[in-house]
Amino acid sequence: MQKLITPRIRKVLYCLLVLFTLLAVRLLFVQLGAARPLSKLASDQYKTFECLLPRRGIIYDRNLKELAGSVNLNSVFLDPLIVEDKDSAAGRLSEVLDIDKDKIAGMFCEDKRFVWLARKVEPETERAIRRLHIKGIGFVKEPKRVYPNKELASHITGFVGLDDSGLEGIELKYDKFLKGSPGWIYTIRDAKRREVPGYEYREIPPADGNDIVLTIDSVIQAFAERELDAAFKKYNAKGGSIVVMDPHTGDILALANRPTYDLNDISGYSIDARRNRAICDFFEPGSSFKMVTASAVLEEAAVKPEDEFFCENGEFKWEGHTYHDHKPYGWLPFKDVIKYSSNIGTMKSALKIGDKRLYRYIKRFGFGKKTGIDLPGEVGGIVRPPSKWSKLSLCSISMGQELTVNVVQLACAISSLANGGYYIRPRVIDRIQDKAGNALERFESKRQHRVVSEETALEVRKILRGVVDGGTGKSAEVEGYFPAGKTGTAQKVEENGTYSRSKFMASFIGFLPFDEPRFVIAIVMDEPRPQHYGGTVCAPVFKKVADQLMRYYKLPPRSYKN
Amino acid sequence: MKDAIRIDKLLACIVILTFVALSYVNQQALVYQMGLKVKENYQIYSKLVDRNRILGYNVLNLKSPVSLEARLLAKKVELNMPRKWQVVKLESSPRKFVQKDLGKKGLFASLFVIGREAEASPNVNSFAPVSR
Repeated sequence: MQKLITPRIRKVLYCLLVLFTLLAVRLLFVQLGAARPLSKLASDQYKTFECLLPRRGIIYDRNLKELAGSVNLNSVFLDPLIVEDKDSAAGRLSEVLDIDKDKIAGMFCEDKRFVWLARKVEPETERAIRRLHIKGIGFVKEPKRVYPNKELASHITGFVGLDDSGLEGIELKYDKFLKGSPGWIYTIRDAKRREVPGYEYREIPPADGNDIVLTIDSVIQAFAERELDAAFKKYNAKGGSIVVMDPHTGDILALANRPTYDLNDISGYSIDARRNRAICDFFEPGSSFKMVTASAVLEEAAVKPEDEFFCENGEFKWEGHTYHDHKPYGWLPFKDVIKYSSNIGTMKSALKIGDKRLYRYIKRFGFGKKTGIDLPGEVGGIVRPPSKWSKLSLCSISMGQELTVNVVQLACAISSLANGGYYIRPRVIDRIQDKAGNALERFESKRQHRVVSEETALEVRKILRGVVDGGTGKSAEVEGYFPAGKTGTAQKVEENGTYSRSKFMASFIGFLPFDEPRFVIAIVMDEPRPQHYGGTVCAPVFKKVADQLMRYYKLPPRSYKN
Repeated sequence: MKDAIRIDKLLACIVILTFVALSYVNQQALVYQMGLKVKENYQIYSKLVDRNRILGYNVLNLKSPVSLEARLLAKKVELNMPRKWQVVKLESSPRKFVQKDLGKKGLFASLFVIGREAEASPNVNSFAPVSR
């Protein structure tokens, strides 16, 4: 032992002993004195707590075709303090991102460690940025909402903002169901900020948003939009709307407006284009409202379809005001009063039931209150109570003036006649379902109240069939399917409160087949030019849409006598 | 002599302990590397899933009625609904049987069969919805 431990080794051992003693003292100092701040400093460096974003739910049409979905795209950020040769980097990034060089140079000068350079860039752009090998540039994955059908059903689906929260349409109204809830992940990271697997890993996965299945059929929506668009352009209209509805269930099969916008690029469109005119705009319906007056007088048994009315050869003075027809008519049976849309005949029939009874039917048909459609921004329209009516109001209201409605209200009103006399609430959403397809909430269709009797509904349907079969709505005829409907041409009200002589709202509200209605179609065109009659502008749109609808559902044409 | 043996034992113990410790460290490093590899593969997988989803949406975009109509309009192809007197015959499975029958005739027989110069291939809807 004496030989092994020589004095030199002994000295080394003593030195080591002293060193270890110093280390032990230092360790004690660190452990007892500075343990907490140091461990916090260390854990801040290697422990990370990250938020995991959920995937937003998908919006499907009734046949489970995707109308809105999400993809993950990279957003580009930069750490200005790390970037070298800022001028050259700004120039190269400017070319790739198509952003002004000075703007990027400005970002480089910011006194922050994190600046967004571009959000949710295309994969090609991302690859191009990576190829630049600029130090200080990083990527973060973010979900981006995509709409594969571009402007199709844009006013129904709506869109989301940069932070993935709904701003319009279904995206806004059902945001809480679609957005899901975020999760989190707790991990340890190494010096290169890479996750160290297997060490202190905890994760609460995000709960993805639920999917929404609409009642919209994207095929019907496509051809309804195409025909509306063609008429909108042909007649240089200011706006236009179309609603296709199942009168028995209240399902909205298509709802479109013009002008419209591309959901994938909302920045290039005006707020006017983004407005859902079918529910947000109200207008005086004009003659298309005569179906309500006709229903009221027939239900009250004040008038029979064969009762004759003298239409004063087109000029009728009432309470100091002169009313006109668009053509002079003499004696007409009531069914022809509606068929040829005589204002004078209609108001004379309304006078038989008086203001209170007419008002009751107006309310029963759902006017003056919101339909309750599952879309944001609906207006109820204006229907004043009889106590506020003037001496002229009864006549004016009977032919669709002095009250305002929206397109969906008109579609619902005529649905009440088409389904045998029940008011039915329109619905755009069929169900909300989870990712496995299990329905979490169903939006059942509901018949709300009886509007008119089944007999009256059938009688009015027959009268409305006459409108298409030789009346003002001849252009809506679809061979073999016997549509029925009512045309409307309403003068718009000028800013000074008088009726305009050059601005009109043209409309056609109809259904087919008239004896067993399957579909209701409502078309309204705002300020069409040079033609402005509902029978000229909107009835052909009805015909084209109805024709395609019949083919789409493979309904065979039939012969009908009587 | 006894001391020498003890030191040998001590050294052997130190060597064994060092070996065990190094093995443990090596094992931890391997676990760590494997974890990283798994993580990398998972990242590649999720990247591919994302890419798949983007491509899926591109296909949906191309298939959408709006895009198809725009393309038809650009090519000035006007499609009309068939009239009542027109008969539209859609070819589907019968053609396949004809082709099969032709194939069975053999090479010699098929030489005398007049085939179509240009025949459209059967339209197979190859798009599969994106898995979620």
